[in-house]
Amino acid sequence: MMDTQLLISGVIFGLSLGGIFFLMTIGLSLCFGLMRIISLDQLLYYSIGGYITYSVSLAVGNIWLGVLGGVVVGGLAALAVERIVFRRIYDRDLPFTMITSFGVLIGGVGVIKYFWGLVPRPVPVPIDAQVFIIGTEIPVYRLVIIGIAGLVYVGIWLFLNRTIIGKAIRAGTEDVEHVEGLGINVYRLFTITFVIAGGLSGLAGGLHAPLIMVDPNMGLEVLAFVFMVVIIGGLGSIKGTLVSSFLVGQVVSIGSLVYAPLAQMAPFAIMLLILLVRPTGLFGSQMLKR
Amino acid sequence: MAAAMNVLRWWWGLVLAFALVALVRVFLPLPFANEIIIFSIYTMGCNYLLGRVGFISFGQPAYLAVGAYAAAFYLFYFGNNPYVGILIGVLAGIVVSFAIGPLFVRLRGDYFALVNLALAVIIFYLMQKVLADITHGDNGLWFLTSLTSTPVLDLTKPDHFFIFAFLVAFALWAFYKYLDDSIFGACCLATKLNEDKVKFLGYSSFNIRLFAFVIANTTTALAGAMYAVYLGFVSPEITSPARAADPVVVTILGGVGTLYGPIVGSIVYTGMKDVLSKVLGNWELVIGFVLVFIMLAGEKGIWGTLEPLIKKTFLRVTGNAADQGGSSR
Repeated sequence: MMDTQLLISGVIFGLSLGGIFFLMTIGLSLCFGLMRIISLDQLLYYSIGGYITYSVSLAVGNIWLGVLGGVVVGGLAALAVERIVFRRIYDRDLPFTMITSFGVLIGGVGVIKYFWGLVPRPVPVPIDAQVFIIGTEIPVYRLVIIGIAGLVYVGIWLFLNRTIIGKAIRAGTEDVEHVEGLGINVYRLFTITFVIAGGLSGLAGGLHAPLIMVDPNMGLEVLAFVFMVVIIGGLGSIKGTLVSSFLVGQVVSIGSLVYAPLAQMAPFAIMLLILLVRPTGLFGSQMLKR
Repeated sequence: MAAAMNVLRWWWGLVLAFALVALVRVFLPLPFANEIIIFSIYTMGCNYLLGRVGFISFGQPAYLAVGAYAAAFYLFYFGNNPYVGILIGVLAGIVVSFAIGPLFVRLRGDYFALVNLALAVIIFYLMQKVLADITHGDNGLWFLTSLTSTPVLDLTKPDHFFIFAFLVAFALWAFYKYLDDSIFGACCLATKLNEDKVKFLGYSSFNIRLFAFVIANTTTALAGAMYAVYLGFVSPEITSPARAADPVVVTILGGVGTLYGPIVGSIVYTGMKDVLSKVLGNWELVIGFVLVFIMLAGEKGIWGTLEPLIKKTFLRVTGNAADQGGSSR
């Protein structure tokens, strides 16, 4: 029914899209797991990452340097926002943090519009080469994105399981008060997690920028997909985020091959189905404190 | 005599408020006044969900689109009477919220917000791409010229439409004020504050939430149908994800859970949007920072801050039932 070449390129496209979604949602998921906040402003760091990549690559000529700049600036912006805004509202309930972070997102989009204007800007693709996989032409850049997403997953896993800070973060996900009782400064943990989340969102923006054009509303455009990924995977679960982001990536990509309008609709239908069966997503925990 | 006094006391706040709203019509241009009235009806549903039931919904545009498209389908394909169009929009709102309500209100607050947004996106793509044969995709449905004039209040004329919208808003306000005073309103607030205790008292928190969900979203659908009739066209833009947070922002701006918050918020928000986009061309910046500022300053909003002050100066009444929801979490 579908020829193999189209299918293979579709799968690769879906995997790279899933990689971007994963990098973007892992921050949201970590923040929810540890701090019990829904940090919509991760989408702002995603846009910032994209724009810094654009500006640096225009000035220096090296796109990878731009992506690195995007990670750094995304992390710094996250640090500033955490210090100014989130530090005051950690003990509030979820809808409250959600609205506040949405305010940060909207305000940040305004700042981006102020600096870079409204016009969408193109970012050149860093690797033009193509490889042949079973007779199908695949852009190397997409494979690189998949590789980076995999590396980040391994890195996060090692960080959470092998380092003392990571272990403290994992313990905090279970029960913050006990961690505090052990004499660990949880607010420092919160800051570290938030900065990591912001940096990864910036990385997602920087990597995604060459595939799409950067424009001020790029964060709002992926908002729905990001929500979907975290709902399907379950808020607060790293593994769930990985599985659901690649699932959503594949559904979008293969769905668009079958019937174009389906690409945007199908993931939402799947999400509603999953919520019917499991109201907390695939890997979300039923019991959440606070 | 005492009963008459009570009735008077119940109504006079509403009448006074709407006398002030009527001033909007005198001082501001007509399209602006219409926009404010419809927008405040739109926000009322969200305000009730957030302030009384504790549900934050980033998907109100979905229900707005349900009302708007139901009215538009009728007016474009079947009939010409704007009143019937609005009625059909409201009915569609009731049917859709009863259909999806049982599924949605089971969810925890955070998932509720996310799922509602997803619904808005589904409806956006449904109207833009999947049903493009019926909805004409991004071009939208245009039916302004085919609307027939109706006797008494002619909805095709903007100034008559304002009177109609004004009356509808007034009726809705009286309804929501009545709801606040009723047992049902108390139950809603109680489920927000402590669901377990409500269950312990023998009420079904599921039913309470379901009916609150239907009431709020039907109000939103009504606003959608009114938008459709007023503008004379409907396009998928009405449910675009980028505008999903508008009602939440306005609710916060006006004051969560306060009775007059939506109208105050609508006036300020529409005004800011209009004035700032002319002066700065960049109103998101201001809205975003105002939102963060209000949240950090105690989430009371404009009306939530003003109300106690007004009461103190003019009424010398303390502990009125109207301000119980604004400050409680």
